[in-house]
Amino acid sequence: MAFEFQTQVVIETFPMLMRGLKYTVYITAGGLAIGFVLGAVFGLLKLSKTAVLRNLAVVYVECIRGTPMLVQAMFLYYGVPMALGIRISPLTAGIIIIAVNSGAYIAEIVRGAVQSVDSGQVEAGRSIGLTSTQTMRYIIWPQALKRMIPPLGNQFIISLKDTSLLMVIGVGELLRTGQEIVAVNFRAFEVYLAVALVYLAMTMSIAKILRIVENRMNISAAK
Amino acid sequence: MIEIQNLHKQFGSLEVIKGIDLSIQRGEVVCIIGPSGSGKSTVLRCINKLEEPSSGTVIVDGFDIMDPKTDINYIRTEVGMVFQQFNLFPHLPVLDNVTLGPIKVRGMKRAEAVRIGREQLAKVGLAEKEANYPDHLSGGQKQRVAIARALALQPKAMLFDEPTSALDPELVGEVLLVMKKLADEGMTMVVVTHEMNFAQKVANRVIFIDQGVIQEENAPAAFFQNPENPRLRDFLGKVEAHI
Repeated sequence: MAFEFQTQVVIETFPMLMRGLKYTVYITAGGLAIGFVLGAVFGLLKLSKTAVLRNLAVVYVECIRGTPMLVQAMFLYYGVPMALGIRISPLTAGIIIIAVNSGAYIAEIVRGAVQSVDSGQVEAGRSIGLTSTQTMRYIIWPQALKRMIPPLGNQFIISLKDTSLLMVIGVGELLRTGQEIVAVNFRAFEVYLAVALVYLAMTMSIAKILRIVENRMNISAAK
Repeated sequence: MIEIQNLHKQFGSLEVIKGIDLSIQRGEVVCIIGPSGSGKSTVLRCINKLEEPSSGTVIVDGFDIMDPKTDINYIRTEVGMVFQQFNLFPHLPVLDNVTLGPIKVRGMKRAEAVRIGREQLAKVGLAEKEANYPDHLSGGQKQRVAIARALALQPKAMLFDEPTSALDPELVGEVLLVMKKLADEGMTMVVVTHEMNFAQKVANRVIFIDQGVIQEENAPAAFFQNPENPRLRDFLGKVEAHI
């Protein structure tokens, strides 16, 4: 029997996928919000004058960057509760994984962006009597933030797609929802195509939003 | 005003400053000249501790900058600095560049800081540029804004680190003019420069630093007309020679 593409299935699938999409968005947004804070903190720690703090950040980044996210997810969801005798919901575990994982990559983005600001800016800030914290806050950080946007956008897109890996710990996100639909109607081609299109729409939206933010920042800095 | 005794500065194993004594009185304009790599900028940067002296004493307005009890951020508001590369804050409009110090460091009310900021911008002839971003200014205008930024803190002395070296030749004059005006008003100034004319006309005293020590120190007339030190004669000869 020849394969027959059923457009109707794709159309019918979309509303059902929205349930999964809700979790995908929730985990991505929550994970990245926390991940950005982690990244900012550890990125700045990497530039600390204190060796202990610097090394702490190095260990964090290397451990996360050096292991697959799938392994991290299974370790946190199945392994850690066993050791600590606690139970974590798949959703909470998912947000933690995305946060910790993106945090490590964002730490590198933050470090790079801060370092790319000309050292003369620090000197100028200090020369008018600002403390090093004030110099970071009012002079370096705003300039670094602008430079972070393109690589951050990249990371946001990666993290969004990475949420699909969380199906292995039973998070009912987008891909998992698709899989459940396929288990019922056996239309793998149409359903996974629909899933892919939803991811694509999401990633393109992120890219678009970041382009707008970037343009707005360029305009405000070039009046 | 500024008292430097037996200043030494090492970068790794390289000794850049090898024992400098320099005393600058209130209202004095001192120009420091010398070949590149001679340590002249380093001396200047040790005055407000942008460089940490390796040894020696630096006393600014009665405060020993090496004393851990001295609030170096306070000293820096009392001693303004102007850099070769301007180092304006590119993410802030001109007026905010100038008012940042008064607001964040001096704790001034915004309205008061804006008043002072505008006053200083007017002084350097850039009142109408207050809303512009630094990227939209010429080099000469940037440096004048940098001078206004330092003056907005109402410092007792100003340090200039080759303020015209990064400028196109036709823009040098406007910056030197602002500096001359400042000198005429009685500002204490230490200027590292290659502008021999400026040194000759504006300075009370000219200092020649080479190989990490002061080789010659004199009033401008004697300094330029009868240089005693052979290195200085050689240096001045080279400066003239390319004409």
